[in-house]
Amino acid sequence: MELEKFTYDNKLAKYFIYATITWGIIALLVGLTAAFELIFPSLNGGIPWFTFSRIRPVHTNGAIFAFVGNAIFTAVYYSTPRLLKTPMFSKTLGAIHFWGWQLIIVAAVFTLPLGYTQSKEYAELIWPIDIAVVVVWVIFGINFFGTILNRRIKHIYVSIWFYIATWVTVAVLYIVNNLQLPTSFLHSYPIYAGIQDALVQWWYGHNAVAFFLTTPFLGLMYYFIPKAANRPIYSYKLSIIHFWALIFIYIWAGPHHLLYSSLPDWVQALGIVFSIMLLAPSWGGMLNGLLTLRGAWDKVREDPTLKMFVVGVTAYGMATFEGPLLSLKTVNALSHFTDWTIAHVHIGTLGWNGMLTFGMIYWLTPRLFNTKLYSKALANTHFWLATLGMLFFSIPLYFAGFTQSLMWKQFTQEGYLAYPNFLETVTQIMPMYYLRAFGGSLYYTGVILFAVNIWKTVRVGKFVRYEEFSAPALEKVPVIEEKIAWGWHRKLEGNVAKFTIFALIAVLIGGLVEIVPMYLVKSNVETISAVKPYTPLELEGRDIYVREGCYLCHSQMIRPFRSEVERYGEYSKAGESVYDHPFQFGSKRTGPDLAREGVSSLPNYKPDSWHYNHMLDPQKMNAESIMPPYPWIINNNLDVSHTASKINVMIKLGVPYPKDYASKAVKDLNTQAHKIGENLRSAGIKVDDNKEIIALIAYLQRLGTDIYKDRELNNND
Amino acid sequence: MTTENKNIRNHQDGYEIDTLTNDRLIKGHDYDGIRELDNDLPSWWKWLFYLSIVFAIIYSVRLFVFKSPDLIQADEYNNEMADFKKNKSKINANQAASFEVKLLTGDASLTKGQDTWTKICAACHLADGGGLVGPNMTDNYWINGNTVQDLYNVVTNGVIQKGMLSYKDQLSNEKRLQVVSYILVKLHGTTPANPKAPQGKKYE
Ligand code: HEC
Ligand code: HEC
Repeated sequence: MELEKFTYDNKLAKYFIYATITWGIIALLVGLTAAFELIFPSLNGGIPWFTFSRIRPVHTNGAIFAFVGNAIFTAVYYSTPRLLKTPMFSKTLGAIHFWGWQLIIVAAVFTLPLGYTQSKEYAELIWPIDIAVVVVWVIFGINFFGTILNRRIKHIYVSIWFYIATWVTVAVLYIVNNLQLPTSFLHSYPIYAGIQDALVQWWYGHNAVAFFLTTPFLGLMYYFIPKAANRPIYSYKLSIIHFWALIFIYIWAGPHHLLYSSLPDWVQALGIVFSIMLLAPSWGGMLNGLLTLRGAWDKVREDPTLKMFVVGVTAYGMATFEGPLLSLKTVNALSHFTDWTIAHVHIGTLGWNGMLTFGMIYWLTPRLFNTKLYSKALANTHFWLATLGMLFFSIPLYFAGFTQSLMWKQFTQEGYLAYPNFLETVTQIMPMYYLRAFGGSLYYTGVILFAVNIWKTVRVGKFVRYEEFSAPALEKVPVIEEKIAWGWHRKLEGNVAKFTIFALIAVLIGGLVEIVPMYLVKSNVETISAVKPYTPLELEGRDIYVREGCYLCHSQMIRPFRSEVERYGEYSKAGESVYDHPFQFGSKRTGPDLAREGVSSLPNYKPDSWHYNHMLDPQKMNAESIMPPYPWIINNNLDVSHTASKINVMIKLGVPYPKDYASKAVKDLNTQAHKIGENLRSAGIKVDDNKEIIALIAYLQRLGTDIYKDRELNNND
Repeated sequence: MTTENKNIRNHQDGYEIDTLTNDRLIKGHDYDGIRELDNDLPSWWKWLFYLSIVFAIIYSVRLFVFKSPDLIQADEYNNEMADFKKNKSKINANQAASFEVKLLTGDASLTKGQDTWTKICAACHLADGGGLVGPNMTDNYWINGNTVQDLYNVVTNGVIQKGMLSYKDQLSNEKRLQVVSYILVKLHGTTPANPKAPQGKKYE
């Protein structure tokens, strides 16, 4: 049999390792900073770009797309050629992929803190960057599928299945969720509004977890665990079943992020039942990972790489057990909007993604540099710091979430809310926030040790850029296949086009069934005639709210519970958010819900002057408040140069402004601003009509008022 | 680069066995040295999967076919509120029987009043009563009158157009009386750090 010679180029794997570590250090440091800002709200020092709500998206996007993303690409660029016995398809495309991705991250690191955001969680990047992401993703796809076409092995291995599902699904999710109309080079409105926008966003958000944090990491696990342990995969059949079940079921589960919201019951129910059915397929991955280590447990005790893998895979099992649990309505009624969710995601990211990434790099670096790991002791210390850090991070947050939620719901014997002041429930859990920051610090120290260890290893070793291999060309390989059950799947593994199409169909079904009827069937979003579009001033105020990231601490979704209706007013209706491009429901209540902030007959109502003082210095109104001060909103002049174009885009999106309203918008804006300005001045505040704060106040005072209009008239007489 | 694996032995029937576990390897499955075992799915795993599917079916039938009120959000809410209303009339009756608006001077009552003040009222009147968005409570000027009943009425019904809220749905009448007493007994007449200019009429 004639052998063909070829070489693997390790350069990109090396680059991606460096990028993973660099961005890991940055993204986690930003996270740690955010944790401290929650304890010391004035830590932002009045600097806009350093404020909690501006840097939190840097942390989340950084952790997901920069740290985990580069780890994924490390795994793909190292394992794909070896699994397919061919070099990567194109070095040029590889280089464009690498540098393009890093440039995107740099762009994110600058735009997000400056307030350029779409305000959709993990999809905050503004539209020009979105386009760059799609381009780079396509380049990655060409390089990846090109490699598959050149392969010298007929059947593709389970890692490759997961990479394929990742590529296809992320492409679909990213494009659909980011459809939007620009109002300027740096700003746009999504084509979806309100509850429909929320459904699309959480279909995306949930499946970013599925197809960016999970499937590529399962691919990584399937390559690096058997390699590092030198053990065969526990069960090929399990691989097949859990792969297809996982990708088909995952896509349906998004609505569990919107339980008890104004999403119709039937969509919520689909989210619930599919989340429950997701447990076994997820655990299939965990089992196949852990059981692959049978016969190698003695090595696990010795080897920091394997130890990390074991904790990582176990964390995956915990997170995927908890996920279905949190999808049960009774549990979700407690957990949602609290720190419980934060704890949950960090088991996934710090545990599963973090530990697998560390393990992979500990294993890979010595091989790429033809040397031994600089210090095993240091790696062991890292292992313990990471494990303890994870526990100190999440256990207090579970406790915090539980405690705060019970306080929100508790009534006195006389039937009043036991803690009518929201802030009391925050103050109660502050010690847990301290512990979380401590846990984060432990974990972060571990990451620094990791970076040092890898750096030293690189310094000692010598980079092996090319590895020579040989194998027969694909046509020439005699297929010696043993007849086993499930041969049909084996055939599919040999036909990558078919495989990819099947995967695409599997992931499209759930999204289509849930999203399409939300548009076509009118009854899913009832029309409320009292609900009117925002005035131009309110719209500008809303854009400030979006820019500052207020949605990261404040929800705008009152759930249909007595405890929430008592606290915040009538529960939120789908018809109320039909002009909300983008929706601002939020997912975390670090501060109170603001859905009805403007309704003067409700207990949370505040006069204009209060908002003015509060934005300037929240701690003056409530010494214990952890809301950051926003003095620049008081000082900045409102930019009205895009108001007309914003109104025009809204009209295109179907918001019923009068036909050529754009030309009158600024005049109306000024009139309304003058009224609020007068009101503030009459309360003794020196302020000009053209400040941003005026627009923000206009927006806050509008919130939730539409359906209360009739009632307020009645109340006032 | 196929990794040398000493743990594999050839069976006389032609298939290979992983000697560490005695499980059967699948022939021809070799990816960069990674082999795969022909193990079946663990049966408890299969049961877990079946059970979750059964749950999904039961849940869906209950919701879509039988429209069970415990799964439909609006029904859940209406039931919760109906339960509460049944009890509420009883509570109200108890409260009304033994309540009178009269200045409280006991330490326990005033401490409770202070608690409410700092947690809820200070946001607008400041903790020392000096006033910010709401008026100064320490001076002799009052917009809505200076008797216990006057203050109690303001706190109960609010002055909504001016930015003072109604607390009748948020604080029990007992608590409202405690905080009003706290204002009159403890805050009034003190010297706050940054007193707001007088508002309203002077009462001696
Ligand atoms: C770090 C989290 C955090 C961020 C970010 C944040 N807030 Fe707050 N907010 C709070 C907390 C906590 C409270 C309750 C204590 C208080 O009144 O200051 C609060 C209270 C409020 C209130 C009063 C609500 C009520 O009914 O009592 C308003 C209005 C408000 N925030 C608006 C905003 C706006 C607008 C932004 C963005 C510019 C913002 N917040 C950003 C945490 C936050
Ligand atoms: C959102 C801001 C705000 C909060 C919170 C608030 N107040 Fe007020 N309060 C005001 C304003 C504004 C006025 C002035 C009303 C007027 O002009 O008649 C006022 C007036 C009053 C007055 C009448 C003063 C006078 O001169 O007649 C009393 C008494 C009072 N508040 C008590 C309370 C108590 C007790 C609480 C807590 C349970 C509270 N307030 C919470 C804003 C607030």
